Formats: sequence, structure tokens, C-alpha cells
Amino acid sequence: MKNLDRLVENSARSLAKRTSRRSLLASLGQLLTGAALLPLLPIDRTARAQEPARPSAAEQKCEYWKYCAIDGFLCACCGGTSTSCPPGTQSSPITWIGTCHNPADGRDYIVSYNDCCGKVSCGDCFCDRNEGEKPMYRLSRNNDVNWCMANSESNYHCSVSVILGVAEK
Amino acid sequence: MRRAAAAGIATAAAALANMLPSVGAHAASPSQDYALNCMGCHGTEAQGIPGKVPPLANALSRFMRTSEGRNYVLRVPGAANSALSDEQLAAVLNWLAVTYDSSAASSQPAPFTSNEVAALRRRPLLSVLATRSAVVHNLATTGPSPPSQY
Amino acid sequence: MTKHWPGVTLVILGAGIASSWAAAPAKPQPPPLPAEHLTVATVGPKSPHWVYVVDYAYNNEIDSRVWLFDGDTHRRIGQIDTGFIPGINISPDGRTTAVATTYFARGGHGTRTDVVEFNDNNTLAKTGEIVIPPKHAQTLAMLFTIGYSSDGKFVYVPYLTPAASFGVLDPARKQVLGEIDTAGCTLVFPWGPNRVSSICESGRLLTVTLDARGKEGSRTTSEPFFNVDEDPVFAQAIPLPDGYAYLSFLGQLHEIDFTQPKPTPRAAWSLVSAAEKGTWRPGGVQVGALHRTQQKLFVPMHRGGDGSHKDGGTEIWVFDLKSHQRTARWPIDTRVTGAAVAVQVSQDPAPLLFVATDKAHLLVLDAQTGKLQHDEKNLGQTPQLLLNP
Repeated sequence: MKNLDRLVENSARSLAKRTSRRSLLASLGQLLTGAALLPLLPIDRTARAQEPARPSAAEQKCEYWKYCAIDGFLCACCGGTSTSCPPGTQSSPITWIGTCHNPADGRDYIVSYNDCCGKVSCGDCFCDRNEGEKPMYRLSRNNDVNWCMANSESNYHCSVSVILGVAEK
Repeated sequence: MRRAAAAGIATAAAALANMLPSVGAHAASPSQDYALNCMGCHGTEAQGIPGKVPPLANALSRFMRTSEGRNYVLRVPGAANSALSDEQLAAVLNWLAVTYDSSAASSQPAPFTSNEVAALRRRPLLSVLATRSAVVHNLATTGPSPPSQY
Repeated sequence: MTKHWPGVTLVILGAGIASSWAAAPAKPQPPPLPAEHLTVATVGPKSPHWVYVVDYAYNNEIDSRVWLFDGDTHRRIGQIDTGFIPGINISPDGRTTAVATTYFARGGHGTRTDVVEFNDNNTLAKTGEIVIPPKHAQTLAMLFTIGYSSDGKFVYVPYLTPAASFGVLDPARKQVLGEIDTAGCTLVFPWGPNRVSSICESGRLLTVTLDARGKEGSRTTSEPFFNVDEDPVFAQAIPLPDGYAYLSFLGQLHEIDFTQPKPTPRAAWSLVSAAEKGTWRPGGVQVGALHRTQQKLFVPMHRGGDGSHKDGGTEIWVFDLKSHQRTARWPIDTRVTGAAVAVQVSQDPAPLLFVATDKAHLLVLDAQTGKLQHDEKNLGQTPQLLLNP
């Protein structure tokens, strides 16, 4: 419940800025009943982190469950973690999306694969997995394009994978 | 305290679900369809990217106020060529219009129906920016308008 | 002794050394080597057994390049530098390699400039460029991220910002003529002197016909021929004499006739039997090559499930395009060479099959028997696309 409180708190803070109270309650209701996902904010989380990266051993391996549709170098091997870009890089505001199964709890999660940009190729821990991945005509599920393309510094350095929420069945 | 709030929220959620046109039994929720198909570019707050991706927040619902604006919305590339069904697309757009607009509840536009979507989306726009500009210009004469440029 | 007669000492030592030389077995010293002249090698007469090997150099992605390799002598002829995540194609007359690419002002960062660079295939030297908007679609190595019209008068460059469109360029005057919005449909599949198709999520092809100035004259969309949720097709089409073929993840081949007023699908046919479907799948980056006159199709195939569409092939399957029959299965020794991620076949009567692997080998096979003639190790870092000269 503690995690849920934190999710609700974060979502309330971000939603309250821009929606009517009725919409806010409705959206929160969807989250609490588990019927829908409420996006967390990858960019916000990076900004709040402000601390040295401590990647786990698991997230430095290509077989890690969250990496089921990743394509590129694992930021967890490049000075970041699976949810933080390495120092001196910028996260991409646009991203591709995957749905990965977590064997630890049996749930499918929707994952956002942002790129970290502005430096040359990290060159370590290359990982290319393609569960549910689609060619570039279905851009939201495609991991081939350079997702740094819309950044002011668009060189590609590495990729993260950030849980957005539980996927519905 | 939390449990009471949860009960009230669940009721509100049901009320919201009733507002939306009925979605097929096997369709995912509109928020999930948005996450899987649109959010990667349009953003977690439907905010878009200046110069690159148009915002949907405080924009989409304003387009929906006129038939010209609704025509535009259903024919942009993300809608016209999307693999979402007509029903799913209607549900996503309606959910976005309600969730990401700060104007008062009383001025919410009429939701899209899947018939309306089906009738319009098959003809993608030839020139998105020029059409947007013209549509926004007309909308600005009758109320709050979405941004012309992005 | 040393103090008073140092010169004498040296002379005596020198004499001693000279006499020991005289005592060695007699062997005449070879004449001195002549001075050499530093030259620049030429490419030599073009052979159909050459192959252009595109290396994206993933670990150093701003440093991609193309190797020109001779399939007979197994020698590297030379290199074309290609920048960051390039699109590469060869002009219809074979004389130019066009490269759409990105450079950053300070190497890895700084202002982004996109260019189309033209390289003379007789010298492998860059001969010109066109600066284009910094929007080139940076994606997987494909034959469709830059293209020529059939008469070489237009060059087409797909853009992705993430909005999709393509640029029309005049390579002779080195000018950007304009940009065509493609409503979310991606890549460029050129046909004839002035038609360009793009592939859409809806399962259709959008086709734009240009006027003489490279502006849009008209556009049409085809009927849908694939379903992106059930069985998507690789965007990396296989060029046919009369159009393009799109291969699906489950092994269905959709041949599209581009000679019609608009691209028209023929009936799809399956590369796999009912028993094989879902288990044996095509995979990799360049997932098929056609010998146009012999009508033989070569496809890297692997055993795998959903999500394995980029896995390299453990076998090359060969099909007769007319009869749709599989005529051969050639296994690859993947432990030694890696799995096949790209295939290309030379277009001459005694063809070679080139196979690039995920261990950066380039294999040269006899395209009629499947016999491995040569295994070139470490041809680049990540070779993934092969072009005929």
C-alpha cells in the first residue's frame, strides 16, 4: 500500500495542475481499481533522482525482464541505471513502448524505452530484444529508429526502460 | 480515510466509464491504448514537443468544438493511419479530451462516436500544417483555440 | 697503449673486423631496392561479384562506413565513410553511391547537419553533397532510407522528426526541390521516373506521383495487404523486376506489382509449410535477396517465436519465385561464423551469395550449390546491409 500511496501522491500532484476535480477523481479511481495505468513521468523522475546511480546486477544483463523490447546499450552499464540516464546525457522526450512480463509477480507491465542522448555510443552491454516490437511504420512500438531524433543533442548513447504501469489483460 | 476515499473514487470511475461511448468487450482501456499507440510521441501529459509534436492537452478538446476541427483531428496521420479500430480511436480521443483539458466540465465538447470516426478518418490530410493553421484561425473567432503552431 | 696510439688501435680493430668479413661464406649482396613511388590505388574494372557492405559500427555509431569487397579475390577494395545512421543506395547507372547521413559539429555533439553525399564508384571519392533539413530518418540499415528515381533525376530521402515525410532532391543541380508529407507512412519505395511509395501502419502503401519539378502531382493509397497486429511485414522490402515484395514475420511473401496504375498486391504465398509456420521464421535485417533472371529468392531462416524477427538465420532457404517451391536449405555453421543477418546475390549467370552475420563475418557462397567459398572474418563491426554494384 505504501507504493500505491506514493503513486497516488505523485499522480495527484501532477494531475491537479491541469484537470477538473471530477476528472482527477475519475482517473485516480481507474488506477486504484487496477483497471488502467497512470503514466509516471520518466523525465520528472530523472530530474528528481540527483544521486549516483546504483544499478543492480540484474539490470546490467540483457535477460532482465524489463528489457524485453530494448534495442541499444543498457544505460545501467554506462553510468546510469534502468531508470536513469548517465551523467551529462539528456533523456529523450519521445520513446517507444513495450509490454514485458515480470516473472517475479506474474504481471505484464507497460514499459517506456527512452534513449539517453548527447554523447557517442556507450559501447557496452548491447542488447536487442523485440517482444511485441513492430517495424517503423508502427512507430510507437519500434525500437530501430534513433529516439534521440527530437533532442537538441541527438547523438545516441544508451537506452533505459521505465515502468509506466500494469498492463491490462 | 483511504478506504472511504477509494469507495468514492470507484463510484466516480464508474460514472466516467458511463460517459464514454461503449467500447468493445475485448478493447483495452483508452488510457492503455493511448500509452501503447500515442504517448511515446505525444507525451505522458499529452504535452507534445515544441516544434516537433503537437500538444493534445488543452488543444484536442478545442478542435472538437466545430465540425471543421473534428474533421481535422480525425484525419491527422496519427488518427487516419493508426491501427486502432474506429471504436478504440473514438474512445482514446474522448478520454484525452476529458483528462487533459483544464476548461470547466460544462464546456466539454460532444464525444466522438465510432460512426463519426469511421466516416472521416479514411482520407488522411495532404498538408497537415496548412490545414491546422486554417482550422485554428477559424476556431479562434468563436472561443478558446488550440495553438496554431507547435 | 690506448693513450698514445688511439688511432692505431682503431685501425687494428677495423682491420680485424674486415678480415673476419672476408672469412664468411661467399654470398653476393643483393642490389639495393629502388626508390618507390607513392600512388593511390584504383578501384579497377567493375565486377558483378563485388558487394558493398554497410557497417553501421554500432559501438562507434558516428563512424559508420561502407566496405567495397571483391567476392572473387576476397580483398577489400576500399571504403566509403558514411557518418551517423546513414541511408545508402546506388544510382541506377551504377556510377554513384548516394549517402544520406548526419554529422555533428563537434564530432559527437553540436549542431546537427544532414547531407546527401555523392561518391564516385570509380574512385570511391566524394564528389559532391546536398545539405538537407536535419530530418533524415535514422533507422535500421535498409535499401529504403534513400532512393533514386529510375532515371536518376530525383533522389528521395525519408524524413522522421517523428512526423514522417520525404525530401525530393535534384542530384544534378544539387538542390532540394521540396518535401512531401506522408501522413505517418514511412520510407521510400521508388518506382519509375516519378512515383514514390511509403508503407503505412494501416497495411497500405501510399503512392505519390511527382510532377516534373518534383512537387506532388497526385497521391493514392493501396488496399491493405497486411495486418500489423496479426502478421506484420518487414519494412525491408525485396526489390523485384516489377515491384517490391514484402516478407511477413510468419513467412508470407506479399509481392506487389508496381507496374499497375497503383501498386497492386498479387496473391501472397508462404515460404513455410503449415507444420513449419510459427516455428521457422525469416529474420535479420536484410531478409531476402532475389536473383532477377534466375528468379531465385534467398532468405535467412531461423527457429524462433514471437519477437525473434531480428534473429539471424541459421539456414538460408532458396525458393523458385515462379513456382513458389523451396529448392534448397543451406545450413550455416553459426558457432563459427554467426547467424545470417543480411543476404545479397550477385546478378550474373554464375552468381555468388553474400551473407553478413551477427559476428561480423561476410560469407561468400556459390549461389547455385550453397558451397561456402570464403569466410571473411571481421568485415567491419556490424555489417547489416549488402548492395550489388
